[in-house]
Amino acid sequence: MTFSFSASLLTSLIIGCLLSFIFIPHLKNGAAGLAFRLFAGGGLGIGVTSCVYFICLLAGLTRYVPAIDLVICLVLGLLCFVLSRRGLRKEPLQLSEIGTFSGFRVLLTVIFSIELIASLLSFAIAFLKEPHGKWDAWLIWNMHARFLFRSGEEWRSVFTGGLDWSHWDYPFLLPLSIVRSWNYMGGESRNVPALMGLLFTCLILGLLLCSLSLLRSRAQGYLAPMILMGTPFFIALGASQFADIPFAFFILATLVMLFFQRRSPGNHAGPLILAGIAAGLCAWTKNEGLLFVPIVTVSLAGTAAYTGGWRQSFKRTGWFLTGALPVLLIVLYFKTWLSPANDLVAGFSLAAASAKLLDLGRYVEIARAFFITGISFTQGLIDVRVGMHLNPGAVNILLLVVYLLLTGIKIDEKDRVCLFQTAAVLLLMLAGYFFVYVMTPLDLNYHLMTSLNRLFLQLWPSAVFLFFMAAGLPEPASLAGGLPETASLQPQKGPGKGKKHRETKEMK
Amino acid sequence: MRPFFAKYRAKAGWFLLICLTGYAVLNLLWQSVRLYPGLPEKDPVTLHEERIRQLESLLPASGEVGYATTVENDKIFAAEKAFQNVEYLAQYVLTQYTLAPVIVRNSPEFPLVVGNFLDGPPPPGFLEKNGLAPLRDFGDGLILYRRDQQK
Repeated sequence: MTFSFSASLLTSLIIGCLLSFIFIPHLKNGAAGLAFRLFAGGGLGIGVTSCVYFICLLAGLTRYVPAIDLVICLVLGLLCFVLSRRGLRKEPLQLSEIGTFSGFRVLLTVIFSIELIASLLSFAIAFLKEPHGKWDAWLIWNMHARFLFRSGEEWRSVFTGGLDWSHWDYPFLLPLSIVRSWNYMGGESRNVPALMGLLFTCLILGLLLCSLSLLRSRAQGYLAPMILMGTPFFIALGASQFADIPFAFFILATLVMLFFQRRSPGNHAGPLILAGIAAGLCAWTKNEGLLFVPIVTVSLAGTAAYTGGWRQSFKRTGWFLTGALPVLLIVLYFKTWLSPANDLVAGFSLAAASAKLLDLGRYVEIARAFFITGISFTQGLIDVRVGMHLNPGAVNILLLVVYLLLTGIKIDEKDRVCLFQTAAVLLLMLAGYFFVYVMTPLDLNYHLMTSLNRLFLQLWPSAVFLFFMAAGLPEPASLAGGLPETASLQPQKGPGKGKKHRETKEMK
Repeated sequence: MRPFFAKYRAKAGWFLLICLTGYAVLNLLWQSVRLYPGLPEKDPVTLHEERIRQLESLLPASGEVGYATTVENDKIFAAEKAFQNVEYLAQYVLTQYTLAPVIVRNSPEFPLVVGNFLDGPPPPGFLEKNGLAPLRDFGDGLILYRRDQQK
């Protein structure tokens, strides 16, 4: 069983990594670059293989899924080999220098490791307490996985089974990833959904660490995941086996890829295609992704038009949509041919909508909830018996603001557009969520109490990434008695590599 | 004074961040560790699954069955929406979770009806009104009913 489960993950990982080799061939930087491929590719691979599984489900080919996965691995591997032979890996990405270990960095590595072990222990105990996850896990995600796995050829019947309360309009990335592993294993295992939760929790931490290490500095790379590990709700939600954590991963992956595209020589389109795939997988993970995709597309088109004109905008948006389209077609098929109407959309009428839009009281109630939750969401689920109240805890958005005030802001010229774009995406997502609440047919208080903190957490890893992309770079050498490490370089060659006293170079 | 603060404020930022995240992580671990000895041998979902799984031998491999519980069916979701009682809904959902792919409809109007009375007997007259006759009593509030087709 363990071997089969590992095989299912390994094929996903290989497919994701090969995609990253094909679309970001110029990423180097040794171990950090490879780790980036593993973390980004691991998540993308799980998403892509769940899409493949869905196609096999439609075609009645689920018994051949391992063989089909293997064929995809071989085809991508061959493609990768051909591309490498054609020498498409000439110019490296313009990334920060990883450098050698200083005293400060060793200390940071030790603290990071302790926090990681402590977080994994907390996760393990949360799993032992609730091995089936929390409410939504067995009401929605694991329930869907069970139906899809146990129904066999009759899996379509569940959409007409009258089980609307289980939200059969929710996309299938997470349930099918679980079903796919069960398919490899030849039977159900209670541990698979929990392992998926653990995997995506670790993938977010790893992606944040590697991307900031590559784009800024390793110190920033360690500090950012520490914020997430210090967010009790992040660990709890991962152990709860909800789809919010995979969704947060794909949002982060999309935004990180956009930064990588800006750093790529000659505006290589590969990272944009990967960003598109990640954005498409957002829509295949949760309905909120259907809001995320147009927002990213519009902000990408807008910033590209502002900086490079409309021609550039069409080109960049086109590459992004090329990546997103295959996944979006799957989502479109799912939404139009299989899933029932969403409970927030069903029964929509213009009269009711306009009455809600003109109700000032709703705006006030939602704004109040946004303010309280915005500061308190890191601490966990709301106790409905107590209601919403301020509970900032040790780690929250204010800590990031204070950190930014203390370290100052240092934005690389080449990241300026992407920073603006990422901030716009996150703010527009919040605005979108706000208006979903304004229009909701559900009881407003009930809807806010049961979902708002999860929506904030979906954006939290990306917000942390954004803050650390803007924060002043730590100067560990000043602690260790050397020169500050602020250089953002192409991977260095020759004897200069690893010297303690390095020249601070300007980006090209 | 200004250069002095400029020199130390970044260090203060890292120090603050490391201390607060360290505190939060260790605090969560401490709370989890304190919880650990009190964890029951089996979690409530597993217990409920084992209880409901007894029905599987008497149910068809697929298709639909009905559901009855301590309150009228329409109150199961209403009580949860009003934050009054989530237990009835949790019990219904876990029954479905266990019996999937058999569809458990939230209604007693089916030839076979799962009676889940963990929180007490059904409302007076409910079984008679719906023509439910016990097929097998599994104990612990779990009864499988057959419905009189004329009702």
